[in-house]
Amino acid sequence: MHKNVVIAGYARSPFHFANKGDLVKVRPDEMAAQVVRGLLGKTGVDPKDIEDLIVGCAFPEGEQGLNVARLIGFLADLPISVAGTTVNRFCGSSMQSIHMAAGNIQMDAGEAFICAGIESMSRVPMAGFNPLLHPGLAERFPQAYISMGETAENVAQKHQIPRGRQEEFAVSSHVKAAAAQTAGKLSDEIVPIQANGATVEADGCIRPDTSAEALAELKPAFSTDGSVTAGTASPLTDGASAVLVTSEDYAKAHGLQPLARLRSIAVAGCDPEVMGIGPVAASRKALERAGIGVGDLDIIELNEAFASQALACADELGLDLEKTNIDGGAIALGHPLGATGARITGKAAQLLKREGKQLALSTQCIGGGQGIATVLEAA
Amino acid sequence: MTIASAAVIGAGVMGAGIAAHLANAGVPVLLLDVVPKEGGSRNALAEGAIARMLKADPAPFMSKRLAKLVTPGNVEDDLEKLAGVDWIVEAVIEDPQIKGALYEKIEAVRKDGSIVSSNTSTLPLSLLTQDMPARFQGDFLITHFFNPPRYMPLLELVVGKETRPEVPETMTAFADHQLGKGVVLCHDTPGFVANRIGTFWLQCAVVETRERGLTVEEADAVMGRPIGVPKTGVFALLDLVGLDLMPKVDASLAATLAPDDAYQGLRQPFPLLEKMIAEGYTGRKGKGGFYRLNKANGARVKEAIDLGSGDYAPAQKPSLASVSASRRGGPKALVAHDDKGGQFAWAVLSQTLGYAAALVPEIADDVPSVDRAMRLGYNWKFGPFELIDKLGAADFAERLKAEGRPVPPLLEKAAAAEGFYRVQDGRLQHLTVEGGYADVERGDGVLLLSDVKLGSEPLAKNGSASLWDIGDGVVCLEIHTKLNTIDPEVFKIIGQAVQFVPKEHKALVIYNEGSHFSAGANLGLAMFAANVGAWPMIEDMVAQGQKIYTALKRAPFPVVAAPSGLALGGGCEILLASDAVQAHAESYIGLVEAGVGVVPAWGGCKELLSRLARDPKRPKGPMPPVAKAFETIGMAQVAKSAFEAKELGFLRGEDHVTFNRERLLADAKKTALSLVEGYQPPEPVELSLPGPSGKASLAFALRDLYAKGVATEHDMVVASELADVLTGGDGADHTEPVSEDAVLKMEREAFMRLVRTPGTLARVEHTLETGKPLRN
Repeated sequence: MHKNVVIAGYARSPFHFANKGDLVKVRPDEMAAQVVRGLLGKTGVDPKDIEDLIVGCAFPEGEQGLNVARLIGFLADLPISVAGTTVNRFCGSSMQSIHMAAGNIQMDAGEAFICAGIESMSRVPMAGFNPLLHPGLAERFPQAYISMGETAENVAQKHQIPRGRQEEFAVSSHVKAAAAQTAGKLSDEIVPIQANGATVEADGCIRPDTSAEALAELKPAFSTDGSVTAGTASPLTDGASAVLVTSEDYAKAHGLQPLARLRSIAVAGCDPEVMGIGPVAASRKALERAGIGVGDLDIIELNEAFASQALACADELGLDLEKTNIDGGAIALGHPLGATGARITGKAAQLLKREGKQLALSTQCIGGGQGIATVLEAA
Repeated sequence: MTIASAAVIGAGVMGAGIAAHLANAGVPVLLLDVVPKEGGSRNALAEGAIARMLKADPAPFMSKRLAKLVTPGNVEDDLEKLAGVDWIVEAVIEDPQIKGALYEKIEAVRKDGSIVSSNTSTLPLSLLTQDMPARFQGDFLITHFFNPPRYMPLLELVVGKETRPEVPETMTAFADHQLGKGVVLCHDTPGFVANRIGTFWLQCAVVETRERGLTVEEADAVMGRPIGVPKTGVFALLDLVGLDLMPKVDASLAATLAPDDAYQGLRQPFPLLEKMIAEGYTGRKGKGGFYRLNKANGARVKEAIDLGSGDYAPAQKPSLASVSASRRGGPKALVAHDDKGGQFAWAVLSQTLGYAAALVPEIADDVPSVDRAMRLGYNWKFGPFELIDKLGAADFAERLKAEGRPVPPLLEKAAAAEGFYRVQDGRLQHLTVEGGYADVERGDGVLLLSDVKLGSEPLAKNGSASLWDIGDGVVCLEIHTKLNTIDPEVFKIIGQAVQFVPKEHKALVIYNEGSHFSAGANLGLAMFAANVGAWPMIEDMVAQGQKIYTALKRAPFPVVAAPSGLALGGGCEILLASDAVQAHAESYIGLVEAGVGVVPAWGGCKELLSRLARDPKRPKGPMPPVAKAFETIGMAQVAKSAFEAKELGFLRGEDHVTFNRERLLADAKKTALSLVEGYQPPEPVELSLPGPSGKASLAFALRDLYAKGVATEHDMVVASELADVLTGGDGADHTEPVSEDAVLKMEREAFMRLVRTPGTLARVEHTLETGKPLRN
């Protein structure tokens, strides 16, 4: 019954700063629907064949609440027969939606899935509108609710990532993203978003003129004596992303152009107070399941929630930074929580094809102390 | 005619400020300037001005949202748009040729009946319009705003011979009601009214200071508070407005005033001033002025210049017997004193007030216009004629005569009669140019408590507050303590009002004519009680306040609060307990208790929570109102206008805003009367509070603020108590609503726990001593 699973298409919205960017006024359900429509157009997949629309969202309430996946299906004019489900694994939500599709395909429970992710951090605040914590847990195990900034400081301290190194990494993310943008390497994946009469076509978070000197001026963002600043953290972002996940047989039979084949997947838990290190355990599992070593990887998409955690993961895993986030990472591009997993997995698949490489890893950390990872190979 | 849209040409400080204030009044406005030569956006000047104003403090906009009403543009591409507006204000540089060329362009596009005005402060109207066609002359006037336009309440109007009568009528009504300005009709004479007298006063004071060898500190100590002038006096005022402005204004006045005008005799070279300007010492906007802040060696030392040597030395606090005498005896005791301060005061005031007395009716029709201009344009507490009355018109004239100096005819008349003002049958009257008396006109819709007081006795009164009958069945409760703080005597009067009003009256308005509605509870009393360990006394004051504010809320008649200036802490809680608020646009409202280490305990937490919970625009669920109230109270946020107060929830969306301070009481009375018919006091509400789950979530937010260095040690203590009150305490659960009384009890208990902490006592003590919050 073992079927091969492929990524047969990838699209995303431009990413913009929450609260001040060009997508502030766009409802997240509407934004995701436009991206889904864009993906359908781009891949040419017959919508009737889609089994399910699986949408990842980290704070699924308000305009991205109810069962937003079903509503996005309606908004995108998907056939009524296409089901819809919303999944939440915080920042790993839309990579999780890919994993779920892969599992379903291998269970022979569907041939084609749209795996999307959405987050308007302008319109639904982080932690949502009604954060109501379990007082007993908060007392006994406060790290369950620890703020992400604090975990970034913990990781920086525990793994000895000095501020200068974080800033160098952040500058490099902006330099790579700006270069990719200028070279037109990002436009292929971007679906322009119609935002209240205007069209938003390009990413809005990249700062090409970022310099180590400018970053060194910033005050610590989370702790007076800390090393993490707004410049070495990913910004609050609005954005949506989607990938088409199908069985390899279906792709072949319908003339789709697979970007990459899924080789293995994994999730793992870690201490919540150092959640940024989550990719280490998850990636090790996934690499082991794929039967390859870190050295075999050609392309790595490692989410940059914070420079400190990305560097700590790269150090621990022995990742080659030359092969990591070659078109820039979340510090430069932005990190719309629920949308990031589908972006980096779709991106890794796209890069395998574009660069003509063999093996890729996409991985990210998750609040609450988890990691998620996907190994891809050339299709 | 009405003004529903406007354009301002010239995006400098004044033009942009006028545009912002039009936006405050809800009027869409086009802001135009020239196209920059260096390229870039063609609207760069106007756009830059708007961006700067959004960051400026004090803010020209009453809410950042209002900036959207200002559309930036330029005079090349957007001139045709002038055809659509009702009023075009010109605020470009003071060059008759540049203005003239612009007027021709305006005239070519503007619609019939639109009004054109200039904000000139130095050019005569006759010169501006001499070459313009009749239509333009008919629709033109000078509208002279004072800087900054939002905050300075004076608007001087000057009309020409050809100006249609409807033009000043329309402008007066618009500026009075919608912009909140005190309009003074001036004659077309140099400097109009306020700057004519104000410049004379400044020049005269500088000359006398130098001749008499006073220090700048001494001169300001005399020419400030003792005569009802802001404490900036003369030299600190010049620093504020900019030293480089002085020679310009001087040259302009000298060129336009008659050669025999008394001002001409005051002019003399001032080499030190020229040197200061040349070296960049242009006042607060430059390196410093007559005063400067020396930040060398890490300290911040206020220094004053020595007018002789030009050297700076640490500013001294002058000790002058005349100034001390004025604290009891007012300006009269000041000028009567024989020390150098008293002699200086007399020299300056005798010349300045005498000059003013010689200028009516040359510069304005009557005495009250001149007084009003100086009060509203220079923030003088008393206008020149009111000051003469303070000194005694007869004594003033007598002393001039004794010194062999001329006495202006109008002053002779005042001296021979009952001064420049008198009260006749409970009405304030002023001396007319002919030597008789006429009522001081207040205009429709203006009701002043000071006028009510002239003609009636209070219904009740103690040392802290009074009740007045303001007619039509409405009672006014006036607080009159220092800064209008609230103490047990104020409670007594509120209690009496609750008993008294229903008997023969219909409604209550809470209002006073101080600079501030109320700065909050009297901290001095609380500190005194704390120092002697009289905790039950403090708890009683908290409990009494809760009881009396609740009584006010539940009273069987409408209660309308009408704040202007500060309404903080306990003052804000009065607003929250009222049925409606009629707020002066310049109201600064906040629950600032956390700043002194306590929580609002006269119902502030309860009321703000229930307001926010009822706001349909807020997301649903138990946390949004709690989180918002936690932020607003925890950070001691103060709304910087009535509009911001609506955004923060201190005022309801439907509460009314009055722009003109003089209309506030009449508007509040009208609002109160509108509520009388079928009035039902509000029923107690229940609040769905999240309990420990919500508190845990606030605690995490707080922990992050502490880590970031935003919250201090004692902030954590105070905010933790506040979180407890706002979430409903340990027993609360959002499925089981909590009564208002239960929240009041929590407010009181949290207050009592906090007031006993050393951190809170240190805050109270520090605030009492310095007027500033302590960040411990």
